Amino acid sequence: MIETSALCKSYYGRLAVDRLDFSVEKGETVGFLGPNGAGKSTTLKMLTCFLAPSSGTATVGGHSIREDALKVQQTVGYMPENVPLYPDMRVTEYLEFRGRLKGLRHRDCRRRMAEVMDLCDLTEVSRKMIGALSKGFRQRVGLADALIHRPELLILDEPTNGLDPNQIRQARDLIRRLGEEYTVLVSTHILSEVEKISDRVVIIDRGKIRASESPKSLVRRRCQQEELRVELKATEKQVETLIEGLSKVELSSCESLPGEWLEVTLRTTGSKDQRETIATAIQEKGWPLRELASRTASLEDAFLEVVSAPRKNH
Amino acid sequence: MRAFLVLLKKEWRSFFLSPLAFSLLALFTFLNGWLFVSLINVARLQASSRSLVYSFFESGWFWMALLTLFPVLTMRLFADEKRTGTIEGLFTAPVTTTQVLLAKFTAVWLSYILLLTPILLFFLLLNLFLPVGAGVHFGELCSAFLGLVLIGALNLALGTLASSLTNHQMIAAMVAFVFVMLHYFLGFMHQFSVVPDSSWTSALTHFSSSEHMKQLSAGLLDTRAMLYYISFTALVLFLNFHVLEARKWRA
Repeated sequence: MIETSALCKSYYGRLAVDRLDFSVEKGETVGFLGPNGAGKSTTLKMLTCFLAPSSGTATVGGHSIREDALKVQQTVGYMPENVPLYPDMRVTEYLEFRGRLKGLRHRDCRRRMAEVMDLCDLTEVSRKMIGALSKGFRQRVGLADALIHRPELLILDEPTNGLDPNQIRQARDLIRRLGEEYTVLVSTHILSEVEKISDRVVIIDRGKIRASESPKSLVRRRCQQEELRVELKATEKQVETLIEGLSKVELSSCESLPGEWLEVTLRTTGSKDQRETIATAIQEKGWPLRELASRTASLEDAFLEVVSAPRKNH
Repeated sequence: MRAFLVLLKKEWRSFFLSPLAFSLLALFTFLNGWLFVSLINVARLQASSRSLVYSFFESGWFWMALLTLFPVLTMRLFADEKRTGTIEGLFTAPVTTTQVLLAKFTAVWLSYILLLTPILLFFLLLNLFLPVGAGVHFGELCSAFLGLVLIGALNLALGTLASSLTNHQMIAAMVAFVFVMLHYFLGFMHQFSVVPDSSWTSALTHFSSSEHMKQLSAGLLDTRAMLYYISFTALVLFLNFHVLEARKWRA
């Protein structure tokens, strides 16, 4: 659906996007991650032909963004960052304007408006002025606008920016539902969201691709270490000697809790789950144990690892 | 063509649903009505070799009102879309820059022509009350109106260009006002004592809208003037197109 080859964009002598090569297959939901200023929006603007690349090119739905802008734009439903809308139009007026502008015929436009308003839960505000809508509704109007011309690909730039937690959840559910029908490229910096909706994440930092794989494999590959939290009744010394006797487990910290309990944080290396070994060892000693939990690395850890990796090398 | 019409309709809609359109129409009609009545009073008191049409369209009062109209009409066009970011939605829809530009320009041009029509009505009304032959000469009126339409095209194109150069409506209006004024006052160069009369000043006079209007409101259809307005408007729109396209390549 999207295929970029050595896509570059420079602003005032600085490379905002530096030879980007990535692809999005039909039907995929891809999360486009990166810190602020990494070049996410610039890339998306190039893919929607709002900006032209400085060098390199890309095809969207088989059409070149350099030569076939109109066909690309017909293929893409784009929701820009911060969802700019005309505040002096009613929701229906706006959607009709956008639908007609994107080439729908009058009758068809009416039918499609009803569909997208239903899909984005806009029916109750259809007669309201856009300027009077809350941020959550405005976001959904933007999404309805992106969907109206039956695009094959949805490109959403920070769709949950500025929403409250409840609205974020609603937006996420909606995007997930859309992901079943459309190919979706969604940029965001909220990681928990991406983990839940996307099949694959592309991480970009300072204009370069740093990773491109499924969230799970990314976490697995990047964060081999696992952290274990144990709460038991024993002295620090005893625990230290016990841990020294085990392989692939390291003691990372000990903290005493009220009531002679001890909170122990352990690090395991290797992919094997060490919880059973540790539990058996503690049981053999006969120490009271009240918690043994593993904290698996999250996408956040992986993201920080990926994004900060090159800096360590300097 | 479809996208052009959709955009044109949207521009008209947002113009006529704002109070701006009606306050402009009311104010402009009132000022011109006042001028018209005073000119008739003058004509009643003393005989003049000039026709009513000529003295109306040559009046400084008329031009003051007209020239302030252009920046007010055009300042919003692109500056507002750029400020709110809606320009991104506009240019990522499957439409060409030319369609957007021409739709906005045509919308504002038609609005301008609509604002002018009450003036035509003044003259036609006067004709109703005068014996046949004593009233305003119809051809002269048409020629003056054509002049206004053409001068409007150029000035509105200049205003549209100003609007696409900035994010702020006010700055767009100021820049447009400077363009428009400059163009108008070129014709008065030779009247300023600081600039000595020379072939330069008389050459510049040929660029001025005031100069062309003199001939047109006398009923003289000068094709040079008409061609000048059409080609200059096309040139300014062409520049505007490139200003809009430049956003893609800014580096």
